[in-house]
Amino acid sequence: MKTATADTLDAAFAALADPTRRAIVSRLARGDATVTELAAPFAISLPAVSKHLKVLERSGLISRQRDAQFRPCHLEAAALDGALDWITTNRRLWNERFDKLDVLLADLQPTRKREEGTHG
Amino acid sequence: MAELGELHFSRIFDAPRELVFACMTDPEHLTHFWGPTGVTAPRDRMTVDARPGGVFATVMVNEADGAEYPTSAVFDEVRAPELLVWTESHSGMRVRSEFVALRPQRTEVRIHQTYVPEAFLAPEAQAGFLSSLDRFDAYLAGLVTRS
Repeated sequence: MKTATADTLDAAFAALADPTRRAIVSRLARGDATVTELAAPFAISLPAVSKHLKVLERSGLISRQRDAQFRPCHLEAAALDGALDWITTNRRLWNERFDKLDVLLADLQPTRKREEGTHG
Repeated sequence: MAELGELHFSRIFDAPRELVFACMTDPEHLTHFWGPTGVTAPRDRMTVDARPGGVFATVMVNEADGAEYPTSAVFDEVRAPELLVWTESHSGMRVRSEFVALRPQRTEVRIHQTYVPEAFLAPEAQAGFLSSLDRFDAYLAGLVTRS
């Protein structure tokens, strides 16, 4: 299992910044696919798709078999998890903190009256 | 379009802005919510010197196994009751919290967290408890929604 490093995480975020590449990654999450299969849903040329695949490959998010005839693309789950974990971990952290803060604020305002402003 | 390595998060609270701001800067309050679910942040191990250059240090303790996650940050900007900015020394992550008064008794807190590579080395990220491709579609949907 590959460990994500700062550099690979940077590359993953950069690669995922593009909507076409995100769609390609999403498709590959459901299974390996060839360039032709990946290009099908998009109104862009095969060379354009190939360019996106090169970026994804350099980022470590996908790999391609060197010897197979149609060189199917494969999603590298570990690299993707590295990028996703940062976002989901921090989002969850704040969400759980703020759930607790909500409870605390209710405790601190036992006589809280809704819609009653103290300033004009 | 979501920016690279940045996280935006917001929540609306039924409380005046001064009180919400106080909760985010007073250890007596912070200790009650700073740790996420299953994690405590003991009051006696927390330092909050809320002024530019002041220290913001906590220790989060996992209730299940006692594992400790010390965090250490320095405040960059403090404008009560509207803005807090700190940079975490252990991760290099910059966190900006804006407090917006929607009404006298209603406050929105907007968190803007800027990614730096070392953040991934944090214990929570390495724990791998979020490793799953299942979330990816939801993640993509979120990105699209914000586009």
